[in-house]
Amino acid sequence: MFHMEQHLHLIFPVILPVIAGAALLVGKPFREDKRAGRMVLLSALGLELVLVAQALIKGGGMVLWRLTGAMDLVFQIDEISVLFAALTSAVWLLVGIYGISYMSHEHRENQFFGWYLIVLGVLIGLDFSGNLLTMYVFYELMTLTSLPLVLHERTHQAVMAGLKYLFYSIAGAFLALFGIFFLAGITESLAFTPGGVMSREIIAGKEGLFLAAVLCMLIGFGAKAGMFPLHGWLPTAHPEAPAPASAVLSGIITKSGVMAVIRVVFYIVGPDHIRGTWVQNVWILLSLLTVFMGSMLAYKEPVLKKRLAYSTVSQVSYILFGLSVLNPLAFAGALSHVVFHSLIKNALFLCSGAVITVTGRKRAGEMRGLGKIMPKTLFCYTIVSLGLVGIPPLCGFVSKWYLAAGALSSDTGVWSFLGPVVLLISALLTAGYLLPISLNGFFPGEETPWGDTCIPEEQGKKKEASLNMLLPIGILTAGTVLFGIFPQSFFHTLFGIAERVF
Amino acid sequence: MTNSLEIPFFHVYLPGLCGPGLTFCLDGFRLIYLTVGMIMWSVSGIFSLEYMAHYEKRKRYYVFFWATFLATMGVFLSGDFYTTFLFFEIMSFTSYVWVAFDEKPESLRAAQTYLAVAVIGGLTMLMGLFLLDKLCGTLEFEALLPKAQEILKTGGPRAKELYTAGILMLTGFGAKAGCFPLHIWLPKAHPVAPAPASALLSGILTKTGVFGLIVVSFQIFYGEMEWGLLVAVLGLTTMFWGAFLAVFSINLKRTLACSSVSQIGFILTGIGMGSLLLATGEDPALAIRGTLLHMINHSLFKLVLFLCAGAVFMNLHQLDLNQIRGFGRNKPALCFCFFTGAAGLAGIPGFSGYISKTLLHESIVEYGAYTGNIGWRFAEWIFLFSGGMTAAYMTKLFIALFLEKNPEKQMEFDQMKKSYIKPLSKGALVAAALLIPVFGLTPGITMDGLTELGQSFFVPGMKTHPVAYFSLENLKGAAISIAIGGGLYGLIRRFLMADGKYIDRLPKWLDLENLIYRPILEKALPGICGTVCKYLDKYVVSIPVTLFLQASALVCRSMDHMADGVILLARHTTHSQIPSPFQKQKKFAFPMSGIKGRLIHLCSLVEESFSFGLMLFSIGLFLTIGYLLVVFFGVL
Repeated sequence: MFHMEQHLHLIFPVILPVIAGAALLVGKPFREDKRAGRMVLLSALGLELVLVAQALIKGGGMVLWRLTGAMDLVFQIDEISVLFAALTSAVWLLVGIYGISYMSHEHRENQFFGWYLIVLGVLIGLDFSGNLLTMYVFYELMTLTSLPLVLHERTHQAVMAGLKYLFYSIAGAFLALFGIFFLAGITESLAFTPGGVMSREIIAGKEGLFLAAVLCMLIGFGAKAGMFPLHGWLPTAHPEAPAPASAVLSGIITKSGVMAVIRVVFYIVGPDHIRGTWVQNVWILLSLLTVFMGSMLAYKEPVLKKRLAYSTVSQVSYILFGLSVLNPLAFAGALSHVVFHSLIKNALFLCSGAVITVTGRKRAGEMRGLGKIMPKTLFCYTIVSLGLVGIPPLCGFVSKWYLAAGALSSDTGVWSFLGPVVLLISALLTAGYLLPISLNGFFPGEETPWGDTCIPEEQGKKKEASLNMLLPIGILTAGTVLFGIFPQSFFHTLFGIAERVF
Repeated sequence: MTNSLEIPFFHVYLPGLCGPGLTFCLDGFRLIYLTVGMIMWSVSGIFSLEYMAHYEKRKRYYVFFWATFLATMGVFLSGDFYTTFLFFEIMSFTSYVWVAFDEKPESLRAAQTYLAVAVIGGLTMLMGLFLLDKLCGTLEFEALLPKAQEILKTGGPRAKELYTAGILMLTGFGAKAGCFPLHIWLPKAHPVAPAPASALLSGILTKTGVFGLIVVSFQIFYGEMEWGLLVAVLGLTTMFWGAFLAVFSINLKRTLACSSVSQIGFILTGIGMGSLLLATGEDPALAIRGTLLHMINHSLFKLVLFLCAGAVFMNLHQLDLNQIRGFGRNKPALCFCFFTGAAGLAGIPGFSGYISKTLLHESIVEYGAYTGNIGWRFAEWIFLFSGGMTAAYMTKLFIALFLEKNPEKQMEFDQMKKSYIKPLSKGALVAAALLIPVFGLTPGITMDGLTELGQSFFVPGMKTHPVAYFSLENLKGAAISIAIGGGLYGLIRRFLMADGKYIDRLPKWLDLENLIYRPILEKALPGICGTVCKYLDKYVVSIPVTLFLQASALVCRSMDHMADGVILLARHTTHSQIPSPFQKQKKFAFPMSGIKGRLIHLCSLVEESFSFGLMLFSIGLFLTIGYLLVVFFGVL
């Protein structure tokens, strides 16, 4: 590590958005001039995509900052970095394009974009992290820098939601910190290594504490991923944030929690050390409970954005469940669901934002007849919803197939059956909470049999959102379809990762 | 018989597509169903041109019409369960649009039911597929048989798991086929869908479910006694219950829908009998050929009958028998078509339904004779009685439509003699209807040819031997059914009609959907689970956190006050400076009065603090000495 070659190009994708974002926040020219702000945003996002791409292609590592001999902040590109960084920068660009239109109806546009860019830089740093310490630093930074996105509306609810977000994230991070302290105490290196850095000798004699530390880290990092019991921030924070912020909170930031869990379990601790232990059982139980609870509450939730937030709670725990059974197939399924859920959930939040912009309606029951006004938006919504339910040939089906196949072939006893059953029940509930909007939207009926309000006919002229908003939705939808039909090469990569890790 | 028919015409594997890859395969059976599908879609497509002409949203209809066609063909061409499932789901969702098309409250409700059954059925099937994939390691039809046989032979928990998988798949495919007790969507969805769509829903979409069941029964549970029994019992129940509902119905399309349920029951019984006969080592040819032929026949009948119903509906916009009675008078083409369909369905000799029903009947008789179990006599009578009910409800429809006169609007109906249908639609309808008697009169050429082509899909290498379809023995079964039908029709006229009107005497509550499924799925389950989840969500973090905060606040506050408490205690006891409220007030006012007063107060404070300090010091000393003593004497 000391004689590591310094690949300085890794620093640029992290620094650039932070600088651009800071400029937007403090730069005087951007106070009034919205156009300039948008230009900065778009060019920064575009350039960022290029920088990330070249960083990922070249790979390598660098020491960012040497605290002490044993504590370095290190960037190191590996296959997980590639997956998450590519996803993050691509989605960030799409949502950014959407955000330009969406935020033009809101106040303090440039302030939002400033923080939006800064979070991107921090996230890329998180994805590039080469050891646990670096990851933790960027993880905390991510919490702090994403807070302004939640607070953006500055209403009482938004502030309360922001505080809740902060509380849950910090509480989770501290739980995780305990684990990091413990692990740092028993091993020399916390650099990410496929298959983990622990060995039987290191753990010998401290098994109990070791497992407790691992569980703390799982629950702690699970907080960001919305895992029960620290999932509560999601349904509170999402409805308060502007749509682009909800989209990336749900689609990307929750995935950072997932990434942290992957790093801890598969790159530090090693799956073999928790296989068959009580920690694995607790982890599976918590994730399955979250899967069911999230979709059940989403089913009962009338406000669309909140419903989507609960849906995220449920869906991200699909991923955690896939990881928790510690099986290569399920691992690949979980990684694919990271990407697929991100595409789908972003598209869903963007659709709901488009609906809010055009009609001002927020509750699912008020969207009857939407198909007459915004047919394209609702069409995309329908496709991605079907994808989330897991209807073939859309991508959600493929990931669920591998999740369930992996769970069934894992030796986790009763969980191997119960897991897929819960996944399918949750899929049923997913259909129950997502599809009625499409169905009532396209088939409002002559009268309204269930007493929901109908969008009045005189308004019923086509009135789609602007192209800026439709285009990202369309691209995400196309991704959902294409990944569903041609998942082969993607899964080839994922199986490769799984092979190295197990 | 001939080897060339048993080899698939083509077998394609497209690796990596949609995950594990798709397999397509074409053999005799699939070729038959491809042809049936194309005939059905072209006839109803032609009919749609006229039927849909007045609808605004035709474009939407046609898009989903052809999308469903492709998906259905995908199901029939699939060579593994993964592919089947994929197209099955697409088909369910695209055909949803048909049911909801009218956007009337009852169509939306029916569509909701349809979708719920499709989604629940689909997910149940998916669970079955997961299990099957895990147990056998493959989902390809041909590769399944040896693996499944091996598992079933060894028995034990794996065999039980295989049965679980089978039952889950049975649920999924059965839901689509309309098998009892998941038949609920058929009587709701058919009356509200456009007629050409109903014809396809009933004629061929239900057959995709049957297709899956055939594969499950003959590629997984090949020759399994218990499985055969399960399917046969389900089939008999479905057959009876569907016919029973149909007898009571007074809505033209609803009757036909219930009839579909019943006929699917006949087909399932055939599959069950085939499995049972295989299990005992007997020749399953009768059952299998009966099943295959009845599938084809039923597709044809329902195509013709639903399109006839469509011809009625597009003129009258009514389906109630009391409203539409007499419409068919003086309309020979319509009468001919409806009659062939009805006669075929009722199993009248000379029409194709007779052939398939005879084969199915014979298979029950054969198995009954083999086992000698009295239960199979009973099954045979259920079969004959259901056939009788079929004859009765078709007679009811036929008489109401074509023989009775409408008391009010007969004149109006008669004027539509020429205009009720366009020549193109009429031609297509008659052409389809003509197939029924042609098949029925030449069973040795047409029907046997079809079975030879298709039967290897069920059981490969089966011998075919000619059956004397019109022998006295076989005619007897049909005669019994028709006689029962005649008797039942008499009862219908006696009990289900009043003042010359048809009445629906079936109690309203006897609707499985509203009685059981909806309350459970809409109220009970979400209610209970939802409440539990809500409390989990709301309180699982907040209660411990609140408790922790409260408790720690209490502890910290008491720690905070500990020194003060000791002081307070001392003032109350040793130093006896008990500040009475009165004194305290005075004291509080005192320091304000001049420098001297302040000085005195300060002195007293110093004095007090000093003495308190001393006291605290001595307490600490005491504790320290106590601790030392304890350590010294080694008590700890």
